[in-house]
Amino acid sequence: MASLITCPHCGVRPKEEFAIRGDASLIRPAPTASDEAWHDYVYVRANPRGRTLEHWHHVAGCRRFLVVERDTVTHEVYSAVDGVVAAREAQR
Amino acid sequence: MVRDYNNRHALDQKLRGTPKPVNADHLEVGHWQAIATVLAQVGLEAAVQRALSSTPELSLRYCGPGEWLVVSEVDTPIGLMRRLDMLCGTQAHVVDQSDGRVLMRLSGPCARRVLAKGVGVDLHPGAFALGGSTNVLCGHIAINLARTGEDIFELIVSRSFAESLFDDLMTMGRAFDLSAAFSD
Repeated sequence: MASLITCPHCGVRPKEEFAIRGDASLIRPAPTASDEAWHDYVYVRANPRGRTLEHWHHVAGCRRFLVVERDTVTHEVYSAVDGVVAAREAQR
Repeated sequence: MVRDYNNRHALDQKLRGTPKPVNADHLEVGHWQAIATVLAQVGLEAAVQRALSSTPELSLRYCGPGEWLVVSEVDTPIGLMRRLDMLCGTQAHVVDQSDGRVLMRLSGPCARRVLAKGVGVDLHPGAFALGGSTNVLCGHIAINLARTGEDIFELIVSRSFAESLFDDLMTMGRAFDLSAAFSD
């Protein structure tokens, strides 16, 4: 697993300071969406090989949620941005 | 029956008794240090930071975006709260942490080597500049670490973790003959 994360607020930190909170690429379905769509959103997860987007919570640091893009094979970290910034860019 | 719960410091049992001689590397524990957390309203982070840093008596410790621990050397806890209320008004949420946090001051030529045993940040003077501060994990305990002098570091820890952190620090500093005492 990626062992060093460059937090946009705190700098380079070991992974022990973070908690991984799951897939960040999911899009929340509309409130009126079908039960199947909601079931998939809440429970069904892929176990991807390669690049993934994940929510990382910097529990022992700035306590902010980050969106970390990393590779599950090579352990390379491509980017780590604040969750607010990521959400703002996704809306655009 | 009336009990006075205020009178017991978190490290009272560890540091009670006659003070031992102070060695070159020393851990000093603040007695009733005035500490408060300040969380700025969204969008007002810069204004709050300006207001706080305009007062030389207050020492700002960075926690996260728009969030600081404010330490005062001169104020009482109540005085600090009054001062922060005047400075921030409705721009920030201020909570008194004087009883909730314990401040420890690690000083001496080997302070950096003591800390390096438990802290995951680069403590080199070029990377962790004078006046710098950050939240960090020391062993498994979340602390706020600040560099207040050339070889002086201040650690702020939650009260309930203070004893555990104190034991860890004394173990980390045993090779350097680390001594410990209350500051007054």
